[in-house]
Amino acid sequence: MTITRTFEYAPGAPPDDFEYEDDPVHGEVMQLNMGPQHPATHGVLRLLVELDGEIIRRTEPDVGYLHRGKEKSCESLGWAKFFPHTDRLDYVQPLMNNIGYALALEKLAGIDVPERGQVVRVLLMEISRIAAHLIYLGTTGIDLGAVTMFFNTFKEREKIYSILDAYTGHRMNNTYVRIGGVYADVDEGVEALLREFLVQFPEQIDEFESLLTSNRIWYDRNRDVGVLTADEAMAWSLTGPNLRGSGVDHDLRKAEPYSGYETYDFEVPVGTIGDCYDRYLVRVEEMRQSTRIALQALTRLAETRGGEVLAEDRRYVLPPRDRVQSSMEELIFQFKIVTDLRLPAGRAYHGIESSKGELGFFVASDGSSKPLRCHIRAPGLMNVQAIPLLAEGRLFSDMVAIIGSLDFVMGEVDR
Amino acid sequence: MVIVKRKELSFWERLYLPEVVRGLSVTMRAIFRRKITRQYPEEPLATNEVTRGQPRLAVNEDDTIRCVSCGLCEIACPAYAITIDGQETDRFIEREPERFDIDMLRCILCGFCEEACPKDAIFMSEELELADFSREALVYDIEKLKRPISALQRRSDYVYKLNDRWHSSSSTS
Repeated sequence: MTITRTFEYAPGAPPDDFEYEDDPVHGEVMQLNMGPQHPATHGVLRLLVELDGEIIRRTEPDVGYLHRGKEKSCESLGWAKFFPHTDRLDYVQPLMNNIGYALALEKLAGIDVPERGQVVRVLLMEISRIAAHLIYLGTTGIDLGAVTMFFNTFKEREKIYSILDAYTGHRMNNTYVRIGGVYADVDEGVEALLREFLVQFPEQIDEFESLLTSNRIWYDRNRDVGVLTADEAMAWSLTGPNLRGSGVDHDLRKAEPYSGYETYDFEVPVGTIGDCYDRYLVRVEEMRQSTRIALQALTRLAETRGGEVLAEDRRYVLPPRDRVQSSMEELIFQFKIVTDLRLPAGRAYHGIESSKGELGFFVASDGSSKPLRCHIRAPGLMNVQAIPLLAEGRLFSDMVAIIGSLDFVMGEVDR
Repeated sequence: MVIVKRKELSFWERLYLPEVVRGLSVTMRAIFRRKITRQYPEEPLATNEVTRGQPRLAVNEDDTIRCVSCGLCEIACPAYAITIDGQETDRFIEREPERFDIDMLRCILCGFCEEACPKDAIFMSEELELADFSREALVYDIEKLKRPISALQRRSDYVYKLNDRWHSSSSTS
């Protein structure tokens, strides 16, 4: 549908190097729907784009096509039963979401996770981060014409999923984190698989970089496209690689350490200009740093062998299985925890550094078995908000690069 | 903090043609690599005791069902997939399910039922494939869910091993 109307440019908006006077379609605005089924929108995002020729004048992101009422579900399901639902928020990193939710509940209930449990969590979080960044590389690559990237990154991701399959029994939607720790210990077989993967992974990153970093098509389509200044990024509440790409050194793993991140040795990659290319470089470097952290976690795993991964707390954590069979007391705890898990009244917020940014869970409790409120601070939603800002005045084909570089997952945005 | 290095393209990289050749060489090398794809239906994926497949009800050697229809799995299920009606029985356990339905279309294989069960009556089996022609046929009733314990023993042992925790301390609080 074409709408013709006189168009007034927003002050300061037109790019300097474009001659509007020579443009035959000057002043004619076309409204274009991009999505919700467009393959480059990475899910069901609808973008209402106002085009002047091929120049984007205005973009209006329309979210909500994947809204499943997760926050409300939490209120009706209760504390523990919400864990499988957190998997389905950002479905490329289910374990990270599990851990974020568990940390908020633990803060509210005041539970300490055993040391080995924290090490396993860090390991799972870094593995999830690598898997999520691989999806970014693959899907953005295929959107911008680098089809090889898609196959190469998915080959690597497949290895991660096989390891998670060997550990949790599922490839996706793992649901292996519980209040007070993780459900199962990482055994030696899985440890060996992880080490094997992490040792060969930097070599694979080098190969990805050799295919993209100095590739002229990738370079030209990403460099100086979608420039986000540090002030703008902060004003739009962007977090994660998008914020760091703009040169702000803010990482929750360093700023507000959780799960013992302060004891790991790693660097936070930061960009300079804040264009798509910087965000890409930051993510690639983050994968390297994640590999570093995961290897350190593996070493600690060997050191803490035999330790517990789940806190012993009969108010929130199920008793050991053999004792349920033999002890009446434990059987009562089993029934109480499954049917009526109560968390103390109060409020808690915990944010973790997910692959997309600050993933926060705010939970409010009135002391009953159902949450009063559960709010999810999804970083993807803030990332989507930056699209109009970055796309304004750019060519329409740059939209694909911008969407790809902001890296959001609609499951989390719409939740 | 480490600032990522932005690379400027060299003359040869900017020329692009040598890069095409280099890219093709990567492609050629990839042709001779080991294939990692699997022909799934013909070549099924290996399952083991860790696999969380569809939940199944354990039946003892003497053909009696272990379930006492306490309803814990029904309560623990985040997808509301389980429906249980209990009845009395003359057996020692006194209660057994009259009806035990799992809606496999709702089941998300999270394993919470297995975790909640105090009688080792429900386990995640290694059965993964699920297909039928109608929705009704995928609501599994008790007869469809029954499996001899020998088929679930491996998983049972594994779950016990997982939950073999807190040796040092006795029951608290």
